[in-house]
Amino acid sequence: MVKTAEVVIIGGGISGCAIAYNLAKKGVKDVVVIEKGYLASGATGSCGAGIRQQWGTEMNCKIAKMSCEFFETANEELQYDGDIEFKQGGYLLLASTDKEHEQFKKNVELQNSLGIHSRMLNLDEAKKIVPHLNTEGLVSTAFYEKDGHLNPFHATEAYGKAAERLGAKIYKYTEVTGIEVENGRVKKVKTDKGDIETKVVVNAAGGHSQVIAEMAGVDIPVYSERHQILVTEPLEPLLEPMLMSFSLNIYCQQVPHGGFIMGRGDDTEPRDLRVTSSWQFLDEMIKTATRVLPPLKKARLLRQWAGLYNMTPDRQPIYGKVDEVEGFYLAVGFSGHGFMFGPATGLLMAEYILGEEPTINIDMLGLKRFESGDLILEPSVV
Amino acid sequence: MLEKTGVPTKEQIDSAFPSEERMKKGPFVVVECFQKIPCNPCFTACNRDGIKAFEDINDLPDVDHDNCNGCTLCVSKCPGLAIFVVDMTYSEDKALLKIPYEFLPLPQEGDRVMGLSHGGEEVEKVEVIKVQNPKGFDKTPVISLAVSKDKVKVIRSIKVPKERDRSEDEIVCRCSDVTLEEVRELIRTGHTTFDEIKKISRIGMGPCQGRTCSQLVIREIASITGQDPSSLLPGTYRQIVKSLEMGKVIEALEKEEQENK
Repeated sequence: MVKTAEVVIIGGGISGCAIAYNLAKKGVKDVVVIEKGYLASGATGSCGAGIRQQWGTEMNCKIAKMSCEFFETANEELQYDGDIEFKQGGYLLLASTDKEHEQFKKNVELQNSLGIHSRMLNLDEAKKIVPHLNTEGLVSTAFYEKDGHLNPFHATEAYGKAAERLGAKIYKYTEVTGIEVENGRVKKVKTDKGDIETKVVVNAAGGHSQVIAEMAGVDIPVYSERHQILVTEPLEPLLEPMLMSFSLNIYCQQVPHGGFIMGRGDDTEPRDLRVTSSWQFLDEMIKTATRVLPPLKKARLLRQWAGLYNMTPDRQPIYGKVDEVEGFYLAVGFSGHGFMFGPATGLLMAEYILGEEPTINIDMLGLKRFESGDLILEPSVV
Repeated sequence: MLEKTGVPTKEQIDSAFPSEERMKKGPFVVVECFQKIPCNPCFTACNRDGIKAFEDINDLPDVDHDNCNGCTLCVSKCPGLAIFVVDMTYSEDKALLKIPYEFLPLPQEGDRVMGLSHGGEEVEKVEVIKVQNPKGFDKTPVISLAVSKDKVKVIRSIKVPKERDRSEDEIVCRCSDVTLEEVRELIRTGHTTFDEIKKISRIGMGPCQGRTCSQLVIREIASITGQDPSSLLPGTYRQIVKSLEMGKVIEALEKEEQENK
C-alpha cells in the first residue's frame, strides 16, 4: 500500500469511483480509493439503480440530467469492455391524490424549464405505456421517456477500471480505522492495511458517511435508514418503464435480464446501519406491487436484500468542504439517489476540490445550509 | 478387498490376462469382471465368439483369447467400465492400452497425461495415442494410451492436466449461462471473492441461488489465486431460501385476516 497520496477517497461505490476517475482525468497523480468490501458492495450495489430526472428541486433536476446524459455514452467515455446496461424505458410516476397530481404538475413545469421534457399523462395514456397497470385509485401520471435503469455493478466497475487506467489506486477489502487531523487540517488516513499521508480526504462512504465524518471530528446532519428491496425470477417483458408512486410507497422496474426489482421506504426502519431483511417488508411490498401490477401475482419472488439511504434533512446531497477541517470534503447524504447522481458527483466534486470553474454551482448544497436553515425540501423520494 | 475398495487383487488381475504366447501375437481383451451380476452386454457386443455364451446371466464372462483379436467393440459396452484392450506388440518398449473413459473433458491425441492405477494412485506419464468417441460408443469414449510394458496390469485410468480440467466454454452457472472461461477471466482481472464475481456476472443470482455454482466458483478462485478453498469467503446468502409465488403470499395474508376477524 502507498504511504502518501494527493487525494484519499473513502468509499468504493459509484461516488468514490466517479470522483477518482474525474480527478485522475484532470491530472491528479496519486488518487487512492479505500473500500471496506469490494466495489459497489455498499449502497451502490444494493440500490434499485433507477435513473430519474423527474425531481422536485432545481438542484436535483440539474444533477440528475447531467448524470443521465453521461450514462448515455458511459460505455464509450469510460472505455468499458463490458456494458453498463443502460435501458431508457422511462419513469412513470403515479399520482393517487389531487394533492400529488398538483405537485407533479409543478414538478413537470420545473423540469421542463430545465430541459427535462417530462409530461403529465392521463390514465388512458398511461395504460398505453403500461397495459397491465391497475389504474384504480389513481388520478394521473407523469412520464419522461429518457429516465431509465442501469446495472450498478458494471457502472461502478467501469468507473473504477477507467480510474485505475489513469493511475488511480483502488484498495479493496481495506477498512479505514481513523483520520488524523492536525492543526485543523487532515494529515493521515489510517487503515487496517497501513496509513496514508494526505492533504485531501473525500468522504464518499455512503451509508457509513457519518461514521467516517466522526473520525475527523465532524458532525454531519445525516442518518442512515435501511431500505429493503426484492427481485423476482426473470419473466417475459411486461413492463417497460420504472413505475413509482410516492403515496403508495413503491418503485418497481423490470430490468433487461427479466427480473422485477421493487422496493419501498419505511421511516420506522432501523437507523443502526443494519442491512438485514424482514418478512414485514415482503408482506407490504407484495401487497402494493400486486395491486399496482396484478400479473405480478404469478411472479416468483427470488431474493431480498437491503441497503442504506444516507438521509439529509432536505433529501438533497451534501457536496463540498468542511470549514472546521481543512482538506476534508463531503460527497454524502444522497438520500437514496446517490447512484443515479454518480456521474455529476464525480465531475462536480473533482472541479470543486481542484478549485475549477464548476459546470453546475454546488455551493447551495454545502454543509452550511443546515446552519443557516436554507433548506429546499425534495418532495419526491421513495 | 474388491467389495470394500473396488480394487481387484493381483491374482484376479492376472487371471484376466492370456498366456505369454497369446500376448506376443497381438491385441487382446482384458475383462476385469469379478463380481456376479446379471449383465451380459460384452457377450452381445462380440461378433467372433471371443466371449462365450452365458448359461446364466449372472455368470462371469468367459473369455476365449484365441477368438479375440482385440477389436475393442466390447470396451465401450461394459457398463462397469471393466474391459480393456492391451497390445504388447505396439512398440519396442511400449504397450498400447485402451481404456473406457467417461470424464470430461476428453484428453487430446498427443497429450501427455498421468496414468492412474485401479485405486487412483499416480503411476507414470503416458501418451494419448487415440481418442475414439463415435456415436455407437454411446458416450463411453475409448482412449488409447502408450504405456510401459510392465504397467499394462497397473494403469487403468488417466488424469487430464489441470489446465484442461474442464473445457472453458463449459457452463458453470446454469441459471445465468455463465461459462468457466468468463469466471476465470473475472478472477484474473481481480474479482477474487464469490460475491464480486456474482455481482458482475449474475452467477448465483438465478433461481438456484448459487446452490450449483458457488462451490465451483470458490474452487476456481482457490486454484487461480493459490489460496486454500476453506479460507475463502463464501457468498452472501439472501433470503428467501426457495422461490415463492407472490400470489401465495397474498393468499396467506388474506387467510390470516379472515381468521383474525
